[in-house]
Amino acid sequence: MSRSLRGAAAVAGIGSTPYYKRGTSPHSALRLTLEAILAACADAGLDAHDVDGFVSYASDLSEGLAVGAALGVREIRWSTMVWGGGGGGVAAAVNAAAAAVASGQAEHVVVYRGLTEADDGRQSYGKGHFPPLLSAHGVLTPAQVCALRTQRMLEVDGVPGSALEALVQASYWHAQQNPDAVAHGRPLDHDTYAGARWVSEPLRLYDCSRENDGAAAVLVTSAERARDLRPVPAYVLAGVQGAGPDWSESAENSAAYTSAGFHPALVARLWAQAGLKPGAADVVQVYENFSGPAVASLIDLGLCPPGAAAGPFMTRPNLTAPAGVLPVNTAGGNLAEGFVHGIGLVLEAVRQIRGTSANQVPGADVSLLLGGPVAPLVSATVFGSAATL
Amino acid sequence: MTDQPVLAGDVPAELVAVAERHGRVVAAGDQAATLADFRADRTGQLIGSARLPDRLVASRLLCLEAEPDGLVAAYIRYTAADGSATVLRSRWIRLDEGWRVTQVRNLPATPPVMASAGPREDGLDAPHWAGLRDGEVRVQRCARCGQWIWAPQPICPRCHGFELSWPVVEPAGTVYSWTRTWQPFTPELSGHVPFVVVLAELLAAGGRRLLGVLRNGDGADVRVGQAVRGEIDPAPGPGGRPVLRWRLT
Repeated sequence: MSRSLRGAAAVAGIGSTPYYKRGTSPHSALRLTLEAILAACADAGLDAHDVDGFVSYASDLSEGLAVGAALGVREIRWSTMVWGGGGGGVAAAVNAAAAAVASGQAEHVVVYRGLTEADDGRQSYGKGHFPPLLSAHGVLTPAQVCALRTQRMLEVDGVPGSALEALVQASYWHAQQNPDAVAHGRPLDHDTYAGARWVSEPLRLYDCSRENDGAAAVLVTSAERARDLRPVPAYVLAGVQGAGPDWSESAENSAAYTSAGFHPALVARLWAQAGLKPGAADVVQVYENFSGPAVASLIDLGLCPPGAAAGPFMTRPNLTAPAGVLPVNTAGGNLAEGFVHGIGLVLEAVRQIRGTSANQVPGADVSLLLGGPVAPLVSATVFGSAATL
Repeated sequence: MTDQPVLAGDVPAELVAVAERHGRVVAAGDQAATLADFRADRTGQLIGSARLPDRLVASRLLCLEAEPDGLVAAYIRYTAADGSATVLRSRWIRLDEGWRVTQVRNLPATPPVMASAGPREDGLDAPHWAGLRDGEVRVQRCARCGQWIWAPQPICPRCHGFELSWPVVEPAGTVYSWTRTWQPFTPELSGHVPFVVVLAELLAAGGRRLLGVLRNGDGADVRVGQAVRGEIDPAPGPGGRPVLRWRLT
């Protein structure tokens, strides 16, 4: 019996609402979630009544059973909430759905995230993760924790600040070709980036993702079923989630403090399961709650050299489609497309396999999704085209 | 208004009138005129950064001081109806549209006083907070295997012993990392930003790291590896809690 997820499940549908400026959604988070799920099912050519599994993460308020009841589905066979605050669970949610269909527990599982300021409040990604040992010292937000990690990465590891800016610039560059991106039509130049207000040093405004109201969903089904449905399937080649030694909820006592949390054993499992040479991704969607942890993620994965050598590698030309050596966040990412705790990154990872990205990487066969750096849990998914099976 | 402000360094002459006028419109509660002096891309941050009493009756520009990068700091003292005085330092930058405030803070710099100070709901960290009341810094340690544990846990993650001790430790350490927070994320931070948070590695606690606001962090050139010493701020009032702070040594 195979114990591998490789090629057993695929994403067959993707759907999204617009990214509204936070606080301006005309509808509740549940309504937006329903719209996104209907769009994902329509994209797949599936009657939404046939959805039989629901997976979310980051303490989404729309419980799977309530979503299923609202949709009047014929049967609910699977429901999972991935533990861990923030977007660390985004890829883990895809993996959970893939595991459900691979093991025959369900057939059509939707992975979704919906968010509105009216329903969730501000900064809902951090809820419950700032106990008094942090908050009594004025540390109230992920921005500050990520700033602490990034400061040491810059000062001790020697990663230059230009690496952070390159990642931000790549996101804004890609967003100019994506009419659905919040930063579409709003290119970012160096002076604007460098002259923006501090949030928490060394992070300035454009280093920080800013929450939108919105929802998105993907439909995960078995590989066989995906081939019957409409679009080109994006097969799940590998999926990992985890937290390394001393990682979770340690009041800033993680052993590998400047890591994003993708510890070596987890990274090795990812590539081994995918049956790929480490780092063999054609395109990467990397969760950028903040620029620094995203750079740390690429370093953890071996996609970017550590320390000072990150500087010459992390350049806007290197990081942008179609010709860059490591195109990242090709729809604009959390920073420039829109931020609903990283669910948009899943859709873009799938588009790259389909060949439908606004910033398509020619011939992309392997598309990597990295979720939630510095969160108590991190996760990753490798998607592949039929050619990789 | 007979007292002339002190001018330190190469201060543009026209800024005296600009800053004096700014003080007057702030004291008069003229919000539109106040906002017009703020740099447009950060009005929200500036509004939330400083804290002033409700009813102001007077302002006085104490000093203008030239700073690096073309900034000029204006020290303005505001007097409230009850006679209390509050000093704000605004930093001004010359833009195409004129002189604008790009930063502002209360002086003296004081750490934010957070209502959340004290044990978490499950009480796991209660001995730490009790120790601060006694003027001591206590860190959790496994009584069986000696492992230092932070954040506190209900069990030793190494040997799985449930008997946990709370020894007093010498609050001397080094800066493991730091951040200067400018964004007033909640109203409690208003009047205290920017402030520096230090994550200090405690030699006496097996290298465990404790967070704390840096005293005298305003303008401090903080670097990883610098030596710090813990000091305990007394409870800010009834119901308040003493809190650990760091100071560069």
